[in-house]
Formats: sequence, C-alpha cells, structure tokens
Amino acid sequence: MAYAYLFKYIIIGDTGVGKSCLLLQFTDKRFQPVHDLTIGVEFGARMITIDGKQIKLQIWDTAGQESFRSITRSYYRGAAGALLVYDITRRDTFNHLTTWLEDARQHSNSNMVIMLIANKSDLESRREVKKEEGEAFAREHGLIFMETSAKTASNVEEAFINTAKEIYEKIQEGVFDINNEANGIKIGPQHSTPGSPGSHMGGQQAGGGCC
Amino acid sequence: MFGRSRSWVSVSGRSGSNVHSLDRLKYMYHVLTKNTTVTDQNRNLLVETIRSITEILIWGDQNDSSVFDFFLEKNMFVFFLNILRQKSGRYVCGQLLQTLNMLFENINHETSLYYLLSNNHVNSIIVHKFDFSDEEIMGYYICFLKTLSVKLNSHTVHFFYNEHTNDFALYTEAIKFFNHPEHMVRVAVRNITLNIYKVNNQPMLHYIRDKTAVPYFSNLVWFIGIHVIELDKCVQTDEEHKNRGTLSNLVSQHLDHLNYLNDILIIDCEFLNDVLTDHLLNRLLLPLYVFSLVNQDKPSERPRISPQVALYLLSQVFLTIHYAPLVNSLADVILNGDLSMFSSKAEHDVQQGSADYSIRCFTKPHETLEKSLELNRQRGRKKHQKRPNYKNVGEEEEDEKPSEDIQEDIDKGKVAENTSKFAKGSGDTEEIEMVIMERSKAAEKSSVIKEENTTDEEKSEAAAGVHSSQNRPFLDMVYSTLECTEDDYYTLFVLCLLYAMSHNNGIDPSKLERIHLCLRPAKEANTYNHVLVERLIRIMNNSANLESKVRLATLELACILLKQLVLFEADCIIKDIHLACLEGAREESVHLLRHFYKGEEIFLDMFEDEYRSMASKPLNVEYLMMDESILLPPTGTPLTGIDFVKRLPCGDVERTRRAIRVFFMLRALSLNLRKEPETQLPLTREEDLIKTDDVLDLNNSDLIACTVITKVGDQVQRFLAVDIYQMSLVEPDSKRLGWGVVKFAGLLQDMQVTGVEDDSRALNITIHKPASTPHSKPFPILQATFIFSDHIRCIIAKQRLAKGRIQARRMKMQRISALLDLPVQPSKEVVGFGHSSTSSTQHLPFRFYEQPRRVGSDLTVQNSVFASVDKVPGFAVAQCINQHSVSPASSPSPPSSSSSSGSTGPCDSVTTSVTSTPSTIQSPSDDSSIMDQPSVYSQIETTEDNLSFPTWSRKSSLRKLDSEITNLAPSLTPAPQPTISLISDDNTDSLSVESLTLVPPIDPCSIHSFSFILESPLKSDLQKCENAKFCVTESADGNTKQ
Ligand SMILES: Nc1nc2c(ncn2[C@@H]2O[C@H](COP(=O)(O)OP(=O)(O)O)[C@@H](O)[C@H]2O)c(=O)[nH]1
Ligand SMILES: [Mg+2]
Repeated sequence: MAYAYLFKYIIIGDTGVGKSCLLLQFTDKRFQPVHDLTIGVEFGARMITIDGKQIKLQIWDTAGQESFRSITRSYYRGAAGALLVYDITRRDTFNHLTTWLEDARQHSNSNMVIMLIANKSDLESRREVKKEEGEAFAREHGLIFMETSAKTASNVEEAFINTAKEIYEKIQEGVFDINNEANGIKIGPQHSTPGSPGSHMGGQQAGGGCC
Repeated sequence: MFGRSRSWVSVSGRSGSNVHSLDRLKYMYHVLTKNTTVTDQNRNLLVETIRSITEILIWGDQNDSSVFDFFLEKNMFVFFLNILRQKSGRYVCGQLLQTLNMLFENINHETSLYYLLSNNHVNSIIVHKFDFSDEEIMGYYICFLKTLSVKLNSHTVHFFYNEHTNDFALYTEAIKFFNHPEHMVRVAVRNITLNIYKVNNQPMLHYIRDKTAVPYFSNLVWFIGIHVIELDKCVQTDEEHKNRGTLSNLVSQHLDHLNYLNDILIIDCEFLNDVLTDHLLNRLLLPLYVFSLVNQDKPSERPRISPQVALYLLSQVFLTIHYAPLVNSLADVILNGDLSMFSSKAEHDVQQGSADYSIRCFTKPHETLEKSLELNRQRGRKKHQKRPNYKNVGEEEEDEKPSEDIQEDIDKGKVAENTSKFAKGSGDTEEIEMVIMERSKAAEKSSVIKEENTTDEEKSEAAAGVHSSQNRPFLDMVYSTLECTEDDYYTLFVLCLLYAMSHNNGIDPSKLERIHLCLRPAKEANTYNHVLVERLIRIMNNSANLESKVRLATLELACILLKQLVLFEADCIIKDIHLACLEGAREESVHLLRHFYKGEEIFLDMFEDEYRSMASKPLNVEYLMMDESILLPPTGTPLTGIDFVKRLPCGDVERTRRAIRVFFMLRALSLNLRKEPETQLPLTREEDLIKTDDVLDLNNSDLIACTVITKVGDQVQRFLAVDIYQMSLVEPDSKRLGWGVVKFAGLLQDMQVTGVEDDSRALNITIHKPASTPHSKPFPILQATFIFSDHIRCIIAKQRLAKGRIQARRMKMQRISALLDLPVQPSKEVVGFGHSSTSSTQHLPFRFYEQPRRVGSDLTVQNSVFASVDKVPGFAVAQCINQHSVSPASSPSPPSSSSSSGSTGPCDSVTTSVTSTPSTIQSPSDDSSIMDQPSVYSQIETTEDNLSFPTWSRKSSLRKLDSEITNLAPSLTPAPQPTISLISDDNTDSLSVESLTLVPPIDPCSIHSFSFILESPLKSDLQKCENAKFCVTESADGNTKQ
C-alpha cells in the first residue's frame, strides 16, 4: 500500500469516553455498529485521500499508560494529530479536558493538530455537556471541534479526516518538519510498486476507506 | 467501501437477529473445520469467519456465557494457531492479530479472559515470528502485547510466566523491540515493561532480575549513551542552527529515556533498582557524563562528550530522577569526587583484561540482547535451580574505592553476589531475598554513619580553609563555569544543574549543605555559600550592562538561586556587603532602562506587556531544560524561533524589552531580600479597578446617556462614565439616588474609538484585552456602537474618551518615570471626572483613588524610592569600609573617578529628553482640534510621531550613551576574578577586605557622595533627595574637574 504520507495520531481522554470504539469505527468499516454492540480496538490504520494524495492514518490508542509519565510524554511526541475525546453524558470527562490539553501542549511538538471530540452524541437524553460548551472550549484553546457517535458512526469519518486535512495544510505551508520522524509524519516510499505481493489483499483488509 | 463489505455481508448479514448467537458460532466452527488449509480461494472466507467469531465472542461475553463454553470446548484457538503457522500472509495474520486485540480489549468477564488465556495458546502466538517488517503487523502485534500487559496481575501472571520452564514470552519478546526504529513501537515496549514490573509477583520479578535484567539494562544504557554521543556530535558540528530539528529529537529522546528509567525506579522494586542503578551509574552517568566535565584537553581513549552537553544532560538527570541511591551517589561524585575513581579502575582493567564488565566504563555489552536472552533461557532450562546473580560477569571487586557512596553501591552489589554464590546450592529463594534485604539495609545504615562523620569532617575542613577544593575537579569545574566572561552559554547550564540538585528530594540534604545549597537546611542557617552568592551577584551585575551577554533566563535563574541561598521563610541572611553589591546591580538596571526610556506610548505598552508575560510565565527550569535550543551557542536573532528569554535581544525594541525585564527582576529581588512589599507594580492592579457590578457614587460625575448596540445586535440603555484609567457603562442604582451599577468597565488605554460614517450621533468603540498567554490573541471585550442623543453629545463623549485615553497613559508614564527615578512633571491636566477631581480627593467620584494619589504626589513617590535606598545598610557598610580600608585593591583609583564623570552624560541627556517629553504629549491633547479627526486612534498614532524627537538629536544622544557606557560605572565592567573563597568565613560578619573588591557596588566616589547625603538628613529637602542620583554624579564630576 503506497502512500504519499503517513500521519500518526493518538487518541486521548478519560477512560470510557469511547476512544477505542471511535478508533475501530474509523479504521474498520466492517464492524458496523448496527447490532447494538460497540467494539473497540487500540490500534488501527486506514488510507484516505486528500488533495488527490493517498494518506495513511495510523492511530494509536494511549490506554494503559495512566500511571506512567514517561509513556504519556513519549506518545504525545510521536504524533502529528491528537483526538481529545470527552463523553457528553459525563461532565467530569469534560472538566478534565484542561489537564489533558496542558499535557498535550507540553509534551507534543508545537505543530500537533488537536481535535476536540464530544462523543456519544447518540445519547441525547443523557446529555450533560451542551454542544455550545464544547464549542466554546475549542474556540478558546484553538482546537477543531466535532460531536460524534461511535455508535451511529455520525461524524466519525469527518473527525479523523478534518484533522488530517489540517495536518496536510500545515505540511503544505511548510511548518511541519517532515524529515523529523518524531513529528509523527512519515513520507511514503517514493515509487509505489502496485504489483507487490499482498498489496491487493492489503487493500481489502483493514484499509476500509481506500475505495 | 461497499464493494468490499459485500464479501462479509454475504456471510453474516442474513438476519439481524441471529448474527450474534451460539448457533452462529457453531456455524463458524463448521466453516473452520472445512477450511483447515489456507488457500487463495478460501482466504477471504477465513478472514471473515475469524472476524465474525470475534464479534460473537465479544457479544457472548456480554450476553451469553455458553458462547465461551463452546469456544473452549471445541478448542477453537487451535484453529487460529494452525492458520497462523501456515505462513498465510499479512492479510490473514493481520486479521488474527486484530481479533486478538479486540478480544482482550473488549472482554470484561474474568472467566472469559481465563478461558482465552488457558492452554498456553496465547504464548504460542506471542512467540510466533510475524512479518515485523510490515508496519501494520508490527502495530497490531505490539498493541496486542500491550493489551495483555494491562491484563497482567497476580491472578493472571501464571498464564504468562512459567516458573518451571523459565518462560516469560510476553516480557522477553517485548523487550526485543526496545530499540525498534519506530518511535511508537519503542514507547509501547516501555509501556509493556512498566506494566509488568508493576505486578508484584516475587517469582516473576526474580526471573526478570536473574535472567533478563543485566542484558536488558546494559543494552538500554548502552543505547542511551550512543544517542548521547550522537547528540553531542550534533551540537559540535552545528552550523547556523541547522541541526536544531535533529537535536530536538535527540534531546527529547534522552528525556524520554530518563523519564522511563525514573518510572521504573519509582515502582520501587528493589531488585530491579539495584541492577538498574548499578548500570546507569557505572556504565553511563559517571564514565560518560561526569567524566566529560573535566580534562577536556587531555587525550583519552574513553568516549567523551563536550562539557556543556554533559552539564545539560546532568541537569536533566537531576530534574527527572529522584531515586535516592542513584542521585546521592551521583551528587556525591560531582560535589566531592575526583578522577581517581576512573584511573584506579582503569589500572584494574588492565590487570584483569577486557573480560571484566564491572569496570566503571562506557562500553558496549558483549552480546546482543536477543542472544543474551536466548542463552539465559537455555541455561535456565538445563538447571532450574541455578540462580546466577545479576552480575554474573566480573565478580571480583577491589576494596580500595575512592568514594564512599560508590563503595556503598558496590557493597550492595557484592552482597547480592555473595549471597547468591552462597545460595546456589540451596535454591531457597525466600531466604536469599531476606539476606539481601537485611544486608543492604545494614549497608545503608553504616553508610549513614559514615556520612555523618564526613559531614563533620567536611565542616571542620571547610572552616580550616579551602584547600579541599583542589581534589574536587568536578565541583571546581562547576564553580569556574559560573563566571560568564564571554557569554552565558555554559553559565546557564551550571545554574540549572545547581537548581536541579537543590530541588532533587532524593539527595540527602547533608550532601547539599556542604555547599550550602540545601533548600531546607537542618540547622538554623546563618551562613551561606559566599563564592556562589558572589558569582550570582556578578551575573546580575553583568546583566545590567548595556552590552551584556547574559540572557534573561540566566538572570531569572540566578535570582531564583540567590533567593534560595539567602532567603529562608522568616529571615534573610544575606550579608550587608552582598546586599550592597546587589543594590548596585539594581541601580545599574535602572540606569540601563533609562537609556531606553522614551516618552512614547509604545513604551508603556511594552512595559506593561513585559510585566504581564513575566508574571504569567515564570521560569520553569524543567521546561527550560527540555529546550534543545539552549544547547547551541547563544544567538540574538529571533529568526531562529528561539524564545526571547533564551536568546540575546535583537534590535532596539528587544533591547528595550530586555532592559525592562532586567529592571523588573532585580527590583523584585531587591525588594524580596529587603522584605519590602511591592507597591508600584504592576501599574494596573486588578484589585484597584472598577469591576462589573460595582456600585459607584456618581453624584459629581459627568454622565452621558447612550444606547449601546453590541455586535450580536443586543441593545441596551447605559450611561457612559470616564474615570482615570477606565471607561464604564453604568445603569442607575435602584437603591440610592445618584449612584450607579457598573455593567461594563474597560481600560481606556486599550480602547479604540472611531466615528460612524453616516451617523454623526454614533461612535464605534472597541476595547481589547491584551493577550495573557502566547497561545491566545488579544480579544475584544467590548465591540459596540454607541448612539448618543445628538451629535454634540457624541462629540463630547468622543472628546472625553480620547482625552481620558491620553491621560490614562500619561499617568502611567509618569509612574514609570518615578520608578526610574526620573523627575516627574506634575500633570496640570485635570484628572478623572471633569471639574470635581481638581479640588481634592474627598470630592472624587469613585471609591478608590489610591493610584492618582500615588502618582499625583510625585514627591512622596520620589521620597519613598529614595528612602528604600536609604534603608540599605550595605551602602553604609561599604562606604565605611571603603573609607577606612587601606588595601590598595579597594582604594579609589583615578580611572574610576574619570569613568564616573562620564556617567553625568547619560544621566543628563536622559533627564532632559524625558522632562521635555510629557509636555510634548500634553500639547496635542489640549488641542481640541484633534476631535475633528474622524478617528481618534489614528490621531493618536500621528501624535506619537509628533512626539518623537527629531531623529538627529535622539541618535546623537544615543551614540553618546553608547560610547560613554564603555568606560562607565565599574559595576558595569567585568569585575576581577575572586582570588579567595569566602566559604570558610561563616561565623563572622567582619568581612575580609578582599571580599569587598570582588564586586564594587558602585563607584567609590559615588559612595562618598551618598554618604554625605545620608549623614546629613537635614538636607533631605525633598527636591534634593529626589535628585540624589544627580548629586552623586555632580560631585563626581566635581572631582574630575579638580
Ligand atoms: N452510546 C454510545 N456508547 C458508546 C459510544 N462510544 C463508546 N461507547 C461505549 O462506551 C464504553 C467505553 O468505550 P471505549 O471505546 O472502550 O472507551 P475508551 O476507554 O475511551 O477506549 C463502551 O461500553 C462503549 O460501548 C457512543 O458513541 N455511543
Ligand atoms: Mg480503550
């Protein structure tokens, strides 16, 4: 699977807000959330197209690092994009955003694009955090904002793809040092070999979006 | 997208109801039994089957326990393994790995988890050699291991660690990737290891220590060192800051490693910590970092890094790692150690040949991690009972060790060795453990006793003299590097190192007390480290120099350290002479800022902005030491993107900003040490301002009724009131007649007023709140159209606002002048609201008039500024000693008096320029024609232009300044190196004469004149006191003329 760029994302936020579910929802369309069963996973990749270029998104869920400072900072440092997720039915997850954001700003490279995601928008009846509050927080801190549902898949595509667009624009503007792999961006192999073994099947596998 | 999904819809999408059910799983099982061999034809079917099974299992975990029973009964995992072993390619392997990830991530019931883990299938999958060159396979695989490590606890550990076969695939397979090129994979590996170390299972931890710790930690430490050498090369070969990107990466990597090591150490697993500390200290920190501090010129086969890099990295170590045994040993070597520890070891090395791996040396591990692990595993297989200790190479240890602390560590290691040798036959793990713990505790105790003894010895030694410093090459290096003769490149690192050591709570306070660096000294402190304090003061002096090469970060850190050294909760123990020197530096910073002071509006904005950013962003040393940019020689250009405080100023504006900050820092320090509160800064104090919902007495104020239409279209009726610093919008108070409730208040100085094109009754008013953090932009707190009842009132309002704005700014400028000891012209203008405020404060409309009082009565301000100088005992002492001293070094010399005559130049020129400036501001504001302009704001801009002096005059005066500065006050010129240390001198206030010559506070002549003023309080005619500074220079001038 040849790509022009690979962007590494991390996905952060309190436990239970739906990070793993969002990740799977985006990276693997086969797990459609139609059966009242939301499944999550902590790693995934998917190809998208921006501006006619194939871009691979590789997403790392940062779960399991809670008590280790070294791990948190290292994860941040390796990412070009971060999805900061809270759960609209739990105000505490919204209240913790400031801490998450401080951490992210402190440890990430300064160009990392952060998208604020208000998840579980399908649970309107149990909503504790108004959309306006999320929007205001995002505006105040210079983040992109989106309400999503990993359960109905609403806005999930957009969240990941808009983040990628922003990163792509930053690359075009030349603010990202793409030769520095620690920025979470990798340049793809110069010459794609379409006939390489496994490539046709790879496309069929987890890719999902590359069609 | 749909094209691809069709393949599985055809399999699973029959009817929604039975997609997740036991029957469905049975059907899938059937499919698996029919397709045991993977072929191109059934590949898609198999992948989809596995995927469906995953879904059903997760569903079953939550809804139907019979699903797992069936899965287990049919041993369906074996099918997975069978498929895996057929080398069926990334498509199938990827699906299997994703499935495993999902199962372990989503399953909630413990019984389900135990089902999955039983029969060792998971371990078989862990050791399977996947195609790790594939990014995705690698990602899934390492995440799978991570997910498993999260599930590891004392109940599940036996599924992974097999005591009998000495297998712990989850751990050993994971650490093989510790140096993987992909950053995220390395992070995951570290995460996995930490999750494992955290599980408190003794047999497992024993296994880790005995079979894996030496190989893993020695390799880890080796690669950290390799990166450090790379980092150093990057610093040394840098040209034009081109290596910044790479350097940044390497610095972060080093920090990542340190944080990782620290995370291991704080899990506080004693066995692991011993091994890790030993390797870290003796294979990396001492032989590479500390060794590189000295003898850079002598050739050596040992690998080295440059001293500035070593200092920087050691600071990072002390800022990050607080594990007592490690940081104590390290600090002890730096403060007390000498080179013998390396040389004696080296001889030792020659005797024993290269096989000795316990030497204190940065060397490559003798075999790769994988090989070591493999060998250890085989060894373990053959004889289970054998428990080789973690240092099974290089068992011999010599007795003569230079440093006690190193000795202590080695002792511990030896204890472990001896015990394990002893225990080889018995194989009783519990017993070994006990012995190790007891012995090491005993070792600790004895070392504590030794420690105390040495402290006493040290003290008497210190009291006796300073000869001991001769064999402390590392400490000497630290001290000598504090001098910033050329620039502060290295100085900053030393300050950071001292800061980091003093804030490291793992270091035994008694160690630091030896150099008086302890934050919380055990005893009542009445002495401090004179050498250190003097060097810090010299940095401060240096920073107030016009041509100073001291960066703001360096100055701020020096201030922090100085406070730390002499300021304790209740009292400040600084000696008068040092305080006097410091006051000298503060005075110089006032001089420096006067050079840049201009009556221009922008100066006020800069002044306030610098204050804000300094207050909102105090120096954080930890963050400072994460910044790679300071590793490269200091530069001035902002084009590098380096933060202002971490580089030199570029251009006049930045030099002004720098001078402002130096002034703030030294002023704050001086007030701090004299225990005086700050009463002048910030110029605008939040608590003095009118706030929304305040209720004001407006009986004598001018109020203009208006309609305010905000940007979003809200429309309200308000009265506009203009106060000294603020404009406010009020509505009548329902309770008291003539009083009003504030609905909005904003600073006049940040206001823009413009007319509205086709409405002569309306004004557009915007007030911006200045940006508080670099991330936020200034944002408008008011953006509205004001509509007045007629165009006359509109003009009046506009006039009032414009005047108010100018006055608000002028008042603040006057306060700045007062702060800089510049003469202030009392404003003839009416302050505040119209006529009422002219009379006296009691008629003033608003509740508070602290600020105008403070500013309006210039003389008191002047007086208080001078009075604060008056209080400094140091001046008297300094003057006294200077007068009586016959030491040739301290006697006033002709050059110094001639240089002081030079100082009249700048003072005069500054004075004239400033005194004339306010009047220039005044005239246009009096001119009411200004109000005819369509935009007040633009008018003010032009006013600024009018205000500036003709270029020629300003330039010439500046040039004059520059040339005069070079032979100006002695405290601006680098002081001579101290020849003696004052450390020994801790019980007396009588200071040696030599110490006075270290940093003359100000020119001796000036001191004479000062003393004259001080001695004759009758002369404290305010006007004269106000100009005390000029008295000094005048008399000095007189001297020269004689
Ligand atoms: N209703 C609803 N539930 C969700 C959504 N996303 C996740 N969940 C549920 O929230 C829980 C936590 O999700 P998970 O992805 O494991 O959260 P994580 O800890 O952030 O990874 C699970 O029970 C999910 O089924 C959503 O968008 N809507
Ligand atoms: Mg999760």
